[in-house]
Amino acid sequence: MDEADLEIRNLTYRLFAERASAPTVGDVVLESRFSEVEVETAWRRLHDAHALVLEPGRPELLMANPFSAVPTVHRVQAEGRWWFANCAWDAFGICAAFGVDGRIETLCPDCSETLVIGIRDGRPDRDDVVFHCLVPARRWWDDIVFT
Amino acid sequence: MNLFRSEEHVERWLAGRDPGATIPVATLAELAEAWWRDRLAEDWQPHATAQNQAILDGLGLTGEFWKLP
Repeated sequence: MDEADLEIRNLTYRLFAERASAPTVGDVVLESRFSEVEVETAWRRLHDAHALVLEPGRPELLMANPFSAVPTVHRVQAEGRWWFANCAWDAFGICAAFGVDGRIETLCPDCSETLVIGIRDGRPDRDDVVFHCLVPARRWWDDIVFT
Repeated sequence: MNLFRSEEHVERWLAGRDPGATIPVATLAELAEAWWRDRLAEDWQPHATAQNQAILDGLGLTGEFWKLP
């Protein structure tokens, strides 16, 4: 990852965190010294490097892990706002990335019960739920949406 | 990657499929802290595979299932 790609990646994340929504290529262009083509090609390289995830066939963000650009069942209240996470791991990651306490709301995939977990100083306020990871680590990026 | 009400709910949801790995939510919180805490840092740098593997190893997430490519 070269310096320009790193700069575009960091700006993309900063805008996502500031606005609580996924920036577009145009948003990044407006806030930077880069052209639309430069941002778009950098995003493609960052996608290939697993530094963010683009929508299939379109230069639009799907994930800037741990943040999701689209609604999911994993919701997080942190920094006074609500966010969507890509998975339960990422939900905890949103609080970790901001370094703040928060509240996670998700659904048990088996019974659809809403599970609410408070995060205080990086720790969950309950221990009666479990985390299951179905896909082995070597295959996480084979299909990151399924993972 | 989901939270479940309990291990029994995981088993029922799997419905005979091969299971992955189930860990306590406290371990997940520690994992998330180590994995994601620098994600918004101004001086963020990509994690090397060895760095991420060390995070998993440090939490006892070892063995073939947790081995990164």
